[in-house]
Amino acid sequence: MVIGVVVFGVMFYSLFRFRHSKGAKAAHFHEHTLVEVIWTAIPLLILVAMAVPATATLKNMYDPSDADLDIMITGQQWRWRYEYLGEEVAFTSNLGTPRETIRGEGERGENYLLEVDEPLVLPVGRKVRFLITAEDVIHSWWVPDLAVKQDTIPGFVNENWVRINEPGIYRGQCAELCGMDHGFMPIVVQAMEGEEFDAWLAERKEASAQDASGVDREWSMDELMARGEQSYNAVCASCHQADGSGNPPAFPALAGNQALMDERERHIETVVNGVSGSAMPAFRNTLSPVEVAAVITYERNAWGNDTGDLVQPAEIAERLAE
Amino acid sequence: MAPKLPLHHPVEQSSTASAGGQAAAHPAPPRGLMRWLLTTNHKEIGSLYLIFSLTMFFIGGVFALVVRAELFQPGLQLVQPEFFNQMTTMHGLIMVFGAVMPAFVGLANWMVPLMIGAPDMALPRMNNFSFWLLPVAFTLLLSTLLMPGGGPNFGWTFYAPLSTTFAPPSTTFFILSLHIAGISSILGAINIIATILNLRAPGMRMMDMPLFVWTWLITAFLLIAVMPVLAGAVTMMLMDIHFGTSFFSAAGGGDPVLFQHIFWFFGHPEVYIMILPAFGIVSAIIPTFSRKRLFGYASMVYATASIAFLSLLSSGLTTCSPWACRWPASCSSCTPPC
Repeated sequence: MVIGVVVFGVMFYSLFRFRHSKGAKAAHFHEHTLVEVIWTAIPLLILVAMAVPATATLKNMYDPSDADLDIMITGQQWRWRYEYLGEEVAFTSNLGTPRETIRGEGERGENYLLEVDEPLVLPVGRKVRFLITAEDVIHSWWVPDLAVKQDTIPGFVNENWVRINEPGIYRGQCAELCGMDHGFMPIVVQAMEGEEFDAWLAERKEASAQDASGVDREWSMDELMARGEQSYNAVCASCHQADGSGNPPAFPALAGNQALMDERERHIETVVNGVSGSAMPAFRNTLSPVEVAAVITYERNAWGNDTGDLVQPAEIAERLAE
Repeated sequence: MAPKLPLHHPVEQSSTASAGGQAAAHPAPPRGLMRWLLTTNHKEIGSLYLIFSLTMFFIGGVFALVVRAELFQPGLQLVQPEFFNQMTTMHGLIMVFGAVMPAFVGLANWMVPLMIGAPDMALPRMNNFSFWLLPVAFTLLLSTLLMPGGGPNFGWTFYAPLSTTFAPPSTTFFILSLHIAGISSILGAINIIATILNLRAPGMRMMDMPLFVWTWLITAFLLIAVMPVLAGAVTMMLMDIHFGTSFFSAAGGGDPVLFQHIFWFFGHPEVYIMILPAFGIVSAIIPTFSRKRLFGYASMVYATASIAFLSLLSSGLTTCSPWACRWPASCSSCTPPC
């Protein structure tokens, strides 16, 4: 702003004061080697002087060693998966804003498109190392207030780290165009005091152990359908739509899909291992056996696909163990 | 120092259209559409380039309007996310390859022969060919919007694997159209270099040329250096999509970041391809209207050449080392391990 005023001020003054109609004569000097050398050398020296401290800071920024906690962050179309390494806690964080709100039905909240169903919970005052990768395409995990912006590359693991000083909610977004719903995969980090975080982590460990035990028992159709609808809407609906109509040709319709209804085995294989060379990801690491079984059961019985098929979590767990 | 430029353009040498009476030795140009299809006149081809560029500027501008209109309010109003991404992508591709680059080639066609006292461009028939490749390339590119699955939706930088594994089927046509536009750019650049190096008026040294001619000479060398690299990148995409290679897929031993390195080896100099001719234009306009000679002509020439060299180097500094290391990894994905 100040620079603009000075530069344009001098320019407009010169244009006005020395205008042709007032008989101004241009001076005809046009070469000066010393001036050219000076105004090349000075910026060069400034750049070199800035590079020295900047390199030292960069070295610190890129040193993720001696972390208290390791978090694996996996970007996928279009959600984030967080895994607390060594703690057996992992969950997927989906967009919290309902689709209807995006379409303009209903009031938009203050954190419209910046809210998730489950935030990443981190402790305050501890060094947290992020191991960052992707399932499908390149995403970028970006939380400006934490000064972290790191590309997630499928097949490669990048590192970054953070030490949060203040408890609170930190929000961010995916920062690398990753397809249709790139704008709908926000990041929310909830920073807690150390003890509070330890209690939270213990509680989550308990819950995931419980979930694991649910694999062995026999589930009823109603239970699977209810659980399946919940997971389907959170994970599958962004491509295949809540009513199963899909978005062909990239995302086939599931409702009334004869191949899907006829081939139970291929249906399970598709959800568990994905379809190589297409946009369909493998969900073997993203969803628990209970969720996979529930989603498949739901897809085989919802929207008039009344096959009556039941897929038990135990069957999926057995397949995953192979 | 430099002798003054001739006060009058050599009109009788360079125009067949407007100066028909003086060009009695030449056969009359064909009438109607064929005149423009077959023209070898540098001004007519220059005008074709400029009109084409303006048309593309409006089409790309309409796409930008769709984007801005959708963003007028939060939430979805006018278009779906899938189409929105096609609009941002097409806007970028059309503005870069269809509006800015052809506009400068058109200005070069008009001005370079006049500024150096040449009768026409050195290779007039190739000049015609390199223009008429462009409408073909961009008709093809725009037609992808009407194909099943829509047009390119992965941003104008088309990063793999979003532009390979996860791209719509029309990506193959996008690749072909970039190839054709790239051939057009390379032919245009060859023509400009040949004209500037061979057809200067007797007695005009390199350091006597107007700065616009200098900036275009340097731009043309940049184009010849980097357009083949872009062609290489899209060819590798084509191979990954259709022929089972894994240049950009870690699952097959490739690397998605390899794409970014190759792309920006083109992309960084591309920035200067799009700005250097504009520097040349400004360096002609300001001295004219301030009625004095350009300050430091020789330094400006050296600075322009340095920018071009550094632009290749700066992407090279970040590119060459990982590139050299990763190239064998990508190639090995094609060949069976021993």
